[in-house]
Formats: sequence, structure tokens, C-alpha cells
Amino acid sequence: MAALSSYSMPTEQPAFSFQNQPQSHASGGPTQHSFYPYTDNGGSTLGISGSSFTIIAGDTRMTSGYNILTRYAPKLFRIGGEGPEHAGAKIVLSVVGFAADGQALQERLDMVVKMYRYQHGKDMSVHACAQRLSHILYNKRFFPYYVQAILGGIDEEGVGALYSYDPVGSYEREQCRAAGAAASLIMPFLDNQVNLKNQYEPDAPQGLEKPQLQPQPLDRQTVEELVRDAFTSAVERHIEVGDGLQMMVITKDGIEELYSPLKQD
Amino acid sequence: MADTSASRESCLHVFELEVLLGITGKDFTIIAASKAAMRGASILKPNDDKTRILNKQTLMAFVGEPGDTVQFAEYIQANIQLYSMRNASDLSPYEVSSFVRAELAKSLRSRSPYTVNLLLGGYDAIKQKPELYWIDYLASCAPLPYAAHGYAQYYCLSILDKHHHPDIDYEQGMKLLRMCTDELKRRLPIDFKGVMVKVIDKDGIREEPYVDDKQVYAA
Amino acid sequence: MNSLVARYSRPAFQNEGYGEEEQQQALADFASPLSLNFALPPVASSASWLRAMTDDHSNPNCPIKIAHGTTTLAFRFKGGIIVATDSRATAGNWIASQTVKKVIEINSCLLGTMAGGAADCQYWLAYLGMQCRLHELRHKRRISVAAASKILANLVYSYKGKGLSMGTMCAGVTPSEGPALYYIDSDGTRLAGNLFCVGSGQTFAYGVLDAEYKYELEDDEALELGRRSILAATHRDAFSGGFINLYHIQEAGWTKHGFSDTNPIFWETKLKKGEFSNVTSELV
Repeated sequence: MAALSSYSMPTEQPAFSFQNQPQSHASGGPTQHSFYPYTDNGGSTLGISGSSFTIIAGDTRMTSGYNILTRYAPKLFRIGGEGPEHAGAKIVLSVVGFAADGQALQERLDMVVKMYRYQHGKDMSVHACAQRLSHILYNKRFFPYYVQAILGGIDEEGVGALYSYDPVGSYEREQCRAAGAAASLIMPFLDNQVNLKNQYEPDAPQGLEKPQLQPQPLDRQTVEELVRDAFTSAVERHIEVGDGLQMMVITKDGIEELYSPLKQD
Repeated sequence: MADTSASRESCLHVFELEVLLGITGKDFTIIAASKAAMRGASILKPNDDKTRILNKQTLMAFVGEPGDTVQFAEYIQANIQLYSMRNASDLSPYEVSSFVRAELAKSLRSRSPYTVNLLLGGYDAIKQKPELYWIDYLASCAPLPYAAHGYAQYYCLSILDKHHHPDIDYEQGMKLLRMCTDELKRRLPIDFKGVMVKVIDKDGIREEPYVDDKQVYAA
Repeated sequence: MNSLVARYSRPAFQNEGYGEEEQQQALADFASPLSLNFALPPVASSASWLRAMTDDHSNPNCPIKIAHGTTTLAFRFKGGIIVATDSRATAGNWIASQTVKKVIEINSCLLGTMAGGAADCQYWLAYLGMQCRLHELRHKRRISVAAASKILANLVYSYKGKGLSMGTMCAGVTPSEGPALYYIDSDGTRLAGNLFCVGSGQTFAYGVLDAEYKYELEDDEALELGRRSILAATHRDAFSGGFINLYHIQEAGWTKHGFSDTNPIFWETKLKKGEFSNVTSELV
């Protein structure tokens, strides 16, 4: 997934531009390029923000094709803070897709956030960090990072903030987002349980007066349970998800890391 | 027209639906350009001006790759205007055509060529002669009494071959243009939203109101 | 005095850094966040490489899916300009988001719309916003819509063929031009006009809009027409949907008229006005 839409009609006719015309191949085969610097390392991440916290979670399995490379490769990274341990950090980046690109991205963002503190003597806000991450991703617009990033933290009002990204840096602040291999399994569940999509007042009359349930900020306990449920379910139905669940809870006091095993098969 | 590259070949179809026509007469040049700005399945603008005034008596009309057209035309326009300002005299249509052709030839051999077809209409005040140049994106340039670009060529050139004479007056010129646009309306499978007509003569360049609302049916 | 010194001196630790190379990298990172030095892949033709990686039109198995589909519209009328969009982002058949803000607020009087690459539009319209602000600071007056749209058109033209994908409209009301509307796309096309629809749902929106559009529309009629045109497109175009984002621009600036769910609007339109009779609300 990268972007949002084509601005012209999807027609069979050649579009009105030379460059945008679909390439027709005489052989009918796909275009072959020898330069292919990407792999999909599988896995899934998800983030949910609450009124005073943000939870970001990811499984720890890393795959390549049908091989499981390792059972513990964290996809969640602390950003900023002191030294290599990121002491006192209050921003978490999760990346899923190509692990090497994810790590490169994490290193870059971490450096930017740390340099910001050295230069300005204060921590970067999540808002600023989110915009900066977008620019880092877009800087590789023509050679993209093959990653889907989710950034979480606490905003200046103390409210949980969650930003989701596409590989070239378009971003949006959301209440919840799932990314990676099992995104299509988890996201509908989150829509229903967090944003209460397709849930209506139980006793309301039918038809036009049937009001939709309004989403309320969830408490931490509920969100943690949602995250666990989402992942245990995803593990049941997706081969690239499993082994361990890493969760980071960001509150005004810092980051709390939780780990629990998932099915190992 | 002929081109080696297959992609170029298919490209040509794209803007062949745009109409560019030029007719010279005794003391005038008429340039007509279709008014539709098309993109994909839609006409985005029904009154698009596909011409730029270069100097007092030279007008350039353009069709081709979207983006390239206006960019190239305005580049040429700026340079010709700069010349007029620096030297307090205008380049003649012939001189303009040489410059334009040279720029296109230069661009053709660059990494990203302009894909633009042009008609250059003018009136040479010294020779007191109207002039018309047909220029394509391969930097071919030909002075002609009448010319067209795109599918319009297939319909209009035969009409003009039969009816055009170099010494026709302005009314006859407009009558010829009417024959051409009527035929295009009759036979071209798409609606190009009529033409915008500009006339260059000894008094300069003017837009000629062109009533074009009559339906024309094939016999 | 101290405040003066503070104002004109650089922050302490400005030159904190590592070795020569890191310094370079770091400089590129924080000197100009909106720098235009984009990383390129080490291949001869980066454009076709990018296409192979991201364009699912020419290569359905591309790893990085660029999505299709959107509907955006804007039109000029007596009372200013209406801008309306849907809010769906899709990647293949996957709906990536139903809450995309496709109207980008460049400044208090200028709006941009988003069709094509979401990142391309977001990034370059933000860049345009920066250029507009710089113009304001340099010339002590607000930039015209014509000039702003030309900055964008020239910008995307300079990247032509490199793989940018955007179809955007710049709309604004300025004292010098009145209501002004421009269409700009990544081919480099820039057109002024009264009415534009952009995206995969454009034809459906044009259908409703063209039929009832006139310049003399009242404000509420114009807003309703904009809303109804987007609704029509979300109904027929699978790549459009989500919420209807409505804006009205007047000389005083733009006002937002909601980010409203299409579903209740659809049922209201159907049940109260009897439109959409192709949809049956009960089993027959």
C-alpha cells in the first residue's frame, strides 16, 4: 500500500499522457528488473490511542517467504531519550514490511529526535516528530522505504496520539490502525470495537432514526485486552504472524513494555 | 509522422484528436485551434486557448503532450519577447520559425524532449506577405500555404488542396475554414468543442468571433 | 540587550555532531526538512524502476501498492467556490482508510484538493503553502491563486516522468482575482476554469454537477449540489466513499461545512427524496 488514488479515470483507453500509459509487453510477461532491494519480512503491528495513553503492539516473528528467520525480532522502537537505551523516551515507532528498511528508518528518526534535543534543549513533540517522519519517508519518494510505519506518543495536551503512514510518507492521525500482513484481519475488528462501526443503539427504531453508537475513549485495560484478542486471532489465521506479542504503553510517565508469548507454530 | 518507437506511435494517437488548422491568403493568416482540453474520459475545459502571441505579428498554436505544450510555448514566447525588448524590433515569422525549430531540435536530442506539434502563423510586414509554418516535435519545419495537425490533416488537407489559392481574400479564407470545421464536425468521432480562430494580418493579431453552434450531419 | 543577543545568536550546541560524514547526513536531515534532494535508486532509469515497484497498473505484483480511486470536485459560483471530496483511500481492493482529509488547507484563503498519490499531494501542497507564506513575507501581500497554482504546476513539471501522480485543484478568493479555480496535474497541465471534477469518480460527479450547475447558484444550493455530486460518485464508483468533506470559500476565507458520513446521507436522499430508485430498501 502506498498512496491514495489515481487522479484520472481507470479506462481501457490509453490515458492522455505519454508517461502514464500502461506499458504493453509483447511477450505478455511481467517486467523483469535485476535490481530488487526488498523482501517482505511479514508480521503485523497495531496501535490504539486513548485519552491519556497510546498502545502500540507488534508480533515478534520475522519471516522470509515460508521460512521463519527468527522468533524474536522486535518491530517496536523507542525514539529519542537518553543514550542507546532511550531512557525517558516518550515516542514509539513501529515498522512492518521490510525489516532492514524499518531499522534504517528507526535509526534516522531516532537521530533526528536526539539531535533536536541537543540543539533546542527540549523534547520534540509527537506532532513535530510525526511530520518529520513523513518528510524522511518522502525524501525517499523515488526509492521508497518498503515499510508501513505507525508512530505513537502523547501530545501536548496529554492525550494519546497515533499517526499512521504509507511507505512514501502520507500520514494521518487516527484512533487506531493495524498494519502489515494481518492488517486486513485486524483492522475490521478494530473498526468495530474501537470506532464502533456498524454498531447501533440496540433499542432504537429502525430506518433513518437509527443512531450509530458514538465511540468513546477506551480505558487502558480494555485496549490491552483488545490488542491481545486481535493478535491471538490473527495468529490463528495468518502464517506470518506469531511467536510473541510485544506491547508498548506510552503514558505521560514514559514507556512501559510488555511481552507475552503467542502460538509458536 | 513516421516514427521508429512504438510508444511514440501510440502517443501520436493521443493528441491527434486535437485540431490545429492554418490557412494563408493574399494578406492574412488564419489559425484555428480546437477549444477542448481533454484528459482521459473527460473534457476538463471547453474554451481552452491553445495559442500564444509571440510578437506583434507572429502567433504560435500548439498541441501535444499535456504540460509540455504550455511550458514550451511560454518558453518560446518569453524568448521572442525578450528579443523584441532588447532590440526594439520584432523577429520576422521566418526568423521566429528558425528559432523555434532550433529549440525543438535541441530538445529532441536531450534527455526529456518536448513532445509538441506547432503551427506558426505570421505576417511579414516587410515583405508584406502572410506566412505559415508547420512544425512537429521531431523539429521538421515547412513553410506552407495551408497546414494542419492531428486527424484534422486527413480531412482538411484534401479540402484545402482542392479549394485553396494563394491569392484568396479574407472572406474566402473564412469560407474555407468553415468548410474544414464543418467536415470535422461531420466526421470526427469526438467533440472538440469547436475552434478558436485567430487572424494575423498587417494590423496585428486578433481573435475572430466564430459562430460554431450549428449542427452538421453526415449525409 | 540579552533578549536581542538571544534573538540573533544561534541556539547553543548548534554544532553538536559527529564525524564529517555523519555531519553531512545530519545536515541534510535537519538543515532543511523540506529539502528537495531525494534519494534515488542506483539504477540507470529510476523512473521505470519506480514504476515496476509501485505501479500495480503495469505490474500487478508490485511490492508497494499505489492505490486508485477518488472523487474530488470544485466549482466557482456567485457566492465564491465550493470544494467537495470523498475520503476513501484504497490500495488494490483494500480500503486503506475511510477518513482521509482530501482537502488541504494551504492557508486561510487557499485550498488544495488531493487526488493521486496521497503523499505527493500532502508533501507538495505543504511545500506550496511554504512558498505562499514566503511570497507573503517578501511582498507584503497575499499571493494570487494564479501565481500559487503556477508555482505548483512548474514544480510538478520539473519532476515530469519521475513518477509523481497528482491531480489537484487550487481554489481561493483574492481581492485581485475574485474567486479563482485552477486544475493542476502531474503531467504539468494547469487550467483555469469554473468547474472541475478529478479522480476515478469524476464522470459520475460531472453528470450530476453539469446538469444543475449555473453561476447564479445560491450558497445553500451550491453546497447541496457539491454534496450531492460527491454522493453520486461514491454510490457508483467503488474507489470512492467514506465521508463527504465540504468547504466553501469566500473573500473572508474558507469555511468548513462538515465531514459527514455518506451512509446516512444516502439513505436520507433515497427515502426522503425518492432518488436512487435502483436500490431496493426491502426484499421483494
